[in-house]
Amino acid sequence: MDQSLEELRVTALAQIAGVGDEASLEAVRVQYLGRAGKISAASEAMKSLPKEDKPRIGKLLNEVRGAVSGALDAAKAALLAKADQAAFAGVDGSLPGTGLPQGSLHPLTQLQERAIQIFRRMGFALADGPDIETEFHCFDALNTPADHPARNEQDTFYFGDGRLLRTHTSSVQVRTMEKVAPPVRIIAPGAAYRRDEIDATHLAQFTQMEGLYVDENVSVADLKGTLEFFFRELLGKDAQFRFRPHFFPFTEPSYEVDIKTSALGSADRWLEIAGCGMVDPAVFEAINTRRGDRAFDPEKVTGFAFGFGLDRLAMILSRVPDIRYFTDNDQRFLAQF
Amino acid sequence: MKVSLNWLRELVDLPEDTGRLVDLLTLAGVEVEDIEQHGVAIANVVVAEIRESVQHPNADRLSVCQIDDGSGTLRQIVCGAKNYRVGDKVPVALPGAVLPGDFKIKVGKLRGVESQGMLCSAEELGMPKGEDGLLILGNEPAAGTPLGALFPSDTVLELEVTPNRPDLLSVNGIAREIGALTGKPVRFVGPQSAVSGVDAGAGAVQVASLERCPFYSARAIRGVKVVASPEWLRRKLEAVGLRPINNLVDVTNLVMLELGQPLHVFDADVLEGAVRVRCAVEGEEMVALDGKSYRLGAEELVIADGARPQAIAGIMGGEASGVTERTVNVLLESAYFEPRGIRRSARKLGLSSDSSYRFERGVDRAGVLRAAQRATELILELAGGEAGPVQVGGNVDALSREACVVGLRAERLCSLLGVKVEPARVEQILTGFGLVREGDGWRVPSFRADLTREIDLVEEVARVFGMEAIPAKTQARFVPASDTDGRYDVAMELRRACVAAGLHEARSITLVPEIPLGLSLTGIGAEALIRVKNPMIDDQVVLRPNLLHGLLKAVGDNFRAQAESVRLFEVGRVFFRGEQEEGSRLAMVLSGALHGRSWRGGQGREADLFDLKGILSGVLGSRVGFELKENSALALSLALTVGGREVGVLGQLWPADARALDAKAPVMFAEVNLDALAQAGWSRGGRVYEAVPRFPGVTRDIAMLVPLGLGHAEVVRVLESVKEPLLVGVELFDVFADASGEKVPADRKSLAYSLTYRSVDRTLTTEEVNAAHGRLKEALAGQLAVSFRE
Repeated sequence: MDQSLEELRVTALAQIAGVGDEASLEAVRVQYLGRAGKISAASEAMKSLPKEDKPRIGKLLNEVRGAVSGALDAAKAALLAKADQAAFAGVDGSLPGTGLPQGSLHPLTQLQERAIQIFRRMGFALADGPDIETEFHCFDALNTPADHPARNEQDTFYFGDGRLLRTHTSSVQVRTMEKVAPPVRIIAPGAAYRRDEIDATHLAQFTQMEGLYVDENVSVADLKGTLEFFFRELLGKDAQFRFRPHFFPFTEPSYEVDIKTSALGSADRWLEIAGCGMVDPAVFEAINTRRGDRAFDPEKVTGFAFGFGLDRLAMILSRVPDIRYFTDNDQRFLAQF
Repeated sequence: MKVSLNWLRELVDLPEDTGRLVDLLTLAGVEVEDIEQHGVAIANVVVAEIRESVQHPNADRLSVCQIDDGSGTLRQIVCGAKNYRVGDKVPVALPGAVLPGDFKIKVGKLRGVESQGMLCSAEELGMPKGEDGLLILGNEPAAGTPLGALFPSDTVLELEVTPNRPDLLSVNGIAREIGALTGKPVRFVGPQSAVSGVDAGAGAVQVASLERCPFYSARAIRGVKVVASPEWLRRKLEAVGLRPINNLVDVTNLVMLELGQPLHVFDADVLEGAVRVRCAVEGEEMVALDGKSYRLGAEELVIADGARPQAIAGIMGGEASGVTERTVNVLLESAYFEPRGIRRSARKLGLSSDSSYRFERGVDRAGVLRAAQRATELILELAGGEAGPVQVGGNVDALSREACVVGLRAERLCSLLGVKVEPARVEQILTGFGLVREGDGWRVPSFRADLTREIDLVEEVARVFGMEAIPAKTQARFVPASDTDGRYDVAMELRRACVAAGLHEARSITLVPEIPLGLSLTGIGAEALIRVKNPMIDDQVVLRPNLLHGLLKAVGDNFRAQAESVRLFEVGRVFFRGEQEEGSRLAMVLSGALHGRSWRGGQGREADLFDLKGILSGVLGSRVGFELKENSALALSLALTVGGREVGVLGQLWPADARALDAKAPVMFAEVNLDALAQAGWSRGGRVYEAVPRFPGVTRDIAMLVPLGLGHAEVVRVLESVKEPLLVGVELFDVFADASGEKVPADRKSLAYSLTYRSVDRTLTTEEVNAAHGRLKEALAGQLAVSFRE
């Protein structure tokens, strides 16, 4: 028996060593370890052995079973490893990716969102108002006289009922102050309209960002601090500022803000970016009259307002040569952002 | 407004460096739009006389000239120009001269012939380009005269004067501003002697509209000799871009530039009878000095004689009464016209002039007669003649504005600027602008009609004080978020979800054509459209009632640009007649291949309505539902609902409509009413935890034949009606129909569902699942005409 078991071990291991595929390996396993296999048969045969031989033969049988079983496992692992190797051998890692189609936010939305997030960190809330405005909200309340050049049909879209498409988002200042009392601290992104000839830098509709802060003791120093902080956050720490005195009907003193910064591609040239100023007392008085109270008494509260065009800023920041690209909705353009 | 620095220097000392002057003006609010360099300021460029010119021995195109540069010896220069003759005088740049562009002139050889300098064209000297070739100087200047003597150098600034500062539309005014900024004294120009000879009673001038023309003056000057103006006068006008005409006209222009008061001279012998300032008779015509005929309306103020209009008041004189070389007797006009009327007429006639530019901004009333006096003195000096009395019409009192005294509280100034400003500094600034302390306030000079309130004085101080000196403050009070913040956040989240679904964000102009694309697709009638009264172009006439025009147009545009698919969304405002006139919408369009062609095999499937439905479910989440909705304008049409309320529509265009757009594939769109969505209580945030399953689920499939017309929604309705507590999922995984009737009967279709059962507190037994599944099958069989396939 001892000898036949040894022979069994030798043949089995030789057979396993010669197997080249999983199916044959399985057949070998069945041949030896299966219910009717040779090792099972040997185990069966052991029952008829004399009692004193049983422990020795039993031990030997276990050794043989272990050796065959281990050899089968090792051979199977080797076959799988070989198959794994083969599975990846032909893969061309330089094939292009096949991801899902990618969407994109409009470049103006992206810039507007960045601007809003900066102003929100500074504690501004959002405000809005209608695109179809009354002359009161767009002009009268903003201290713009009836014969002001902006108020004619050459420059402004009117409707039959005398209303108009707002020419600036400053009308939202008025809308907001009508409703709430100081402190008012808002930004208002939105569309504005002008009857411009359409060309590379003009559309009938453009996007502005308006801002207003009214409270006790708001000063030019607050205006300067706010705009410098905002534009440094937006355009980079190296931004330099020049507040050029200017004239707007609804602010006094008024300024235009020029900026020099590498982000705008103008490290050595001033670019006019925004208009701003202290809210004119006449605007507060128009609001008070409308509200029927003195919530915006110019002796008690002061404020600053500012506005800038998002389209032009986006054009400069992203080097977009023609404003019309923003509304052409060409996917080849949109997918770039 | 152009201003010559040579001219300005006659009135006030300027900083040496033009850049500093420009900064000074800019930071005081007077923007310098352009800086022009006039004349020649290059050393070693002199007048040369060409004495001889012969062909260059080695170059066909060159000549060798001998020139007289005034030094006494002839100089040899090789020259390529052809436009001169021997004897002409031309500029020569001598060795050592540096021409614009840092071009240094040296002695050198050109094709083997020595050239001791360069003969120059106007352009090479930095002057405006003249005729091709050398600048021919005429015979007058002597050889050797520095060119700077013939073309004195000057710098001309183009200033952008804001509409509130008409006082800066004169050399006097700009000199005053610079004096105030630098502290230098100003030598104002003005008449030699006081205004005299005012004759208010003669009635030679009748003013019919005192409102439009509060004051008018006319002074007869007889026996003038009309000739060209002297060099100094012509040079001043030319420096700022005015064309010299003759001594009379040039004087009026000069005085306008000096003092800011526009003047006019009539040929007095053309005028018939007394001068009248009146409104035109509707339809009256006049040929103005620009040679064009203007048809005047009753709104236009004119200066007329007894017969006809001779000038459009404050805007332009008439050709007929203009001064010519035959003119002997003139009438000099100086008046105050009310700004609004001038502005209106100038715009209506499409005619603007240096005169109307000033009148419509408001001239200095106190300067009207001083300007007339200054002009009279200059006319008498340059054209001779004899001046008569000043005949006036209107009201002389109109010339003296009520004394305007404005207060300025020190603490108000400091709190508005956010910085302490010393009283002495305030005093210095305001005095510089011509204001005079009076009691607690400041008397404002007549030429500063823009200063009427305390805030106006604050601005004057702020302008000079400068932003540099004001600290930057970065503190403020907190304010709560607004409803707008909430709406913005929702819109932004939806945008991001659309991007995650692979859509590109579009932005379209809100003005659309009279008949916008896709008008009927969202159930809007043409009567709801809001029309602009004065559109610019046919494509932008009404406000968009939905977002579809821009998006559908983009479908065609992108396909024409060879796109394989169009996947766009837009969030924006829409407009329609009604109580709530403006609304907020999210719209999408989807058309074409879902994926590009790839090495994985084949072209991607074409998108259909169910892909868009899937995108909407992803973007808006499980709270939205879809219901069938009739719309004959669409091939397929669904309503989007939240809690049973309709919040939007989606659909597929009829193929004919898609073809009309140049679409290369079926076109799907959706529009969501964001206002209705908010009203229905929809939000993406604020969700509450739901237990994650701890026990395994079991799935059972049902395959069944149903009538062709039976919808999936009907099957789901029946399954839900059973209210089986163990059923947690219903998934349709196969739909099959066969028109030939071979695989399934032609009037039936096969639907296959996978139902998932699960309990929150135990692992289900096979018996429990079988029982539940049996109940559901029973309900289906009982309520619908279905037969199960095993």
